[in-house]
Amino acid sequence: MNRTRGVFLAALIALLLLLPWLVNPYVLQIVILTITYSMLGLAFALSLKVGLPRFDVAGWWAVGAYATAMLTIKANMSFWLTIPMGALIAVLLGLIIFSVIIPRGMMVFLLFGMVLTLGIQQVLTLNFFGAWSGPGVVQPPAIGSFLFNQKPSLYYMGLAFLFLNVIVYRALFVSRIGRAWNAIGSGLKLADSIGINVVRYRIANVLIGNFFLALAGSYYAAYNQAVAPTTFSFPSTVYVMMYLVVGGLASNLAGPMIGALIVTFIPEYLRMAREYEPIVTGVAIILIIIFMPRGIVGVLEEWIGPRLSRTRILGSLFKPVREGRPSP
Amino acid sequence: MGIRRPDVDIGLFFQILVNGLMSGGMYALVASGFTLILGVIQVFNMAQGQFYMLGAYVTFGVASGLGLPYPLAFLAALGSMALLGVLFHFSVVQWTIPQGFFHMMLVTIAFSGIIGQISLLTFAYDQGVVTPVIVGTLKMGSVVVGWSKLVVIGGAILVMAALYLFMKTKVGTAMLASAENREVAELQGINAKRVFWVTMAVGCGLCGIAGSLIVPVVSATNTMGMNVFVRSILVVIIGGTGSMSGALVAAFLVGIIESFAFHFVEQASLLVIFAFAAVLIFFRPGGLLGKPLPVPGQ
Repeated sequence: MNRTRGVFLAALIALLLLLPWLVNPYVLQIVILTITYSMLGLAFALSLKVGLPRFDVAGWWAVGAYATAMLTIKANMSFWLTIPMGALIAVLLGLIIFSVIIPRGMMVFLLFGMVLTLGIQQVLTLNFFGAWSGPGVVQPPAIGSFLFNQKPSLYYMGLAFLFLNVIVYRALFVSRIGRAWNAIGSGLKLADSIGINVVRYRIANVLIGNFFLALAGSYYAAYNQAVAPTTFSFPSTVYVMMYLVVGGLASNLAGPMIGALIVTFIPEYLRMAREYEPIVTGVAIILIIIFMPRGIVGVLEEWIGPRLSRTRILGSLFKPVREGRPSP
Repeated sequence: MGIRRPDVDIGLFFQILVNGLMSGGMYALVASGFTLILGVIQVFNMAQGQFYMLGAYVTFGVASGLGLPYPLAFLAALGSMALLGVLFHFSVVQWTIPQGFFHMMLVTIAFSGIIGQISLLTFAYDQGVVTPVIVGTLKMGSVVVGWSKLVVIGGAILVMAALYLFMKTKVGTAMLASAENREVAELQGINAKRVFWVTMAVGCGLCGIAGSLIVPVVSATNTMGMNVFVRSILVVIIGGTGSMSGALVAAFLVGIIESFAFHFVEQASLLVIFAFAAVLIFFRPGGLLGKPLPVPGQ
């Protein structure tokens, strides 16, 4: 049992660390994108745990990206300083907004999230922000004289961020806070009756999501070295939902990541005519939801789950959790 | 984007007001269809805007392409959108009801994407305009308003009145009853399945009507659906989720505010209604007025 776990984990870590030598730069670029998208998917899954589908993912992602871009361009700040700045902006702004929105319930949160994404995008199109592109506009991050401007180094940086993200979420899920979230997800009235402050736990959940969304945004700005308001539009939030559905809502950590990997890679390889891609994607989503509602991870769980769950680390990744699905 | 000086001009004032009422009427139709579907079937229908766009294109196709009179085109748009809504319900929505709210929502997003892309491939970037029923302008002193715009406003109000009467009929009451409590409604002998597809037909038909009404004044484009849907979301927030009468009042309010904001700040007009919704949600969390239909989630 211990050996299986060790071998699997070692193989996974070795694969992730050696990836820049195993694949060509084009694939590595898509992997870097997948890392960013995984962080977005994880934030969505986190808030779904307390029964709040969040549609403001792209908005907070944009806040992080623009914080990094604007602070490096206009204030000549170091990239490493812009990360906490972006996160601080996202969390404080989120605190103000969500302390008003979250007590109003799930539906208002959902609707307001959509409006928030569009609102932030509208703000970003103003002259002060606008689109920044071109090589060297956003200074690449540096440690001493080492510049993170090559794909492998950026890949490792992203991997570190994603690892941090997963570790923090894992730690939260097994803590008191995580159990309170689970209780809220399985029933609001139940959670309330056992003395859980639903509003406060929900706000904490969403703000933690905001922190990592801003981090993902900073990372995106750093590796893309360009930001444009059109990136952070409503459709990108829809893609985040797709990761969850394809990957499976049943798992909080593996689902969004596997989903992001599949949804990002498959269109790149199918190479179908560009104009038919949205139609095929739409039909695929409908079919997946009707015939495979628990996603890839759900299917994996049924087939190889019993064997995998014996290995502790992967088992906890694939562990089924009650979905924070709103009850009618 | 400069800020223009407000010039006091009564004619201009009325033109802006009429434009606001006109778009408000569209938001009212789309948002009330949305609210109805959300309340009764508990489906968050993201494809609502696309039905509106298709309604406009069908009207354009029948009136300009086939050369039939506008009222026929109007009926065609209403019928085809209601039919499409029912088809959508039977082919997709009904199978995803057990999967829960979130999955149903994604299905409607996927459907909206499919419709959007198909219409983009079919109509490309065609802009469809239909000759208005009544041409000419209404002149009252310095106030000059196009008759076609007044027809749109009048039509929207008539349709809302018809919807109000429809909700008083047996079918409408059954819809409201199953929105209130599905199990109890079924216990009273209401056929929930029939109520669902009728709701879908009404909700999507309302969008078809809205698109059909607007196309003599504003040309049909591919992005019109999404634009209206965004405003409808704001309308639903302001009017209170699940409140039909609230949506009606909020729609005209949003239309007028947006119209005036567009005159002064152009691009940022969406931000103005966004700010308005934010302020309103702070002071009136339950929506503007009215008893809302129960909606999923807490």
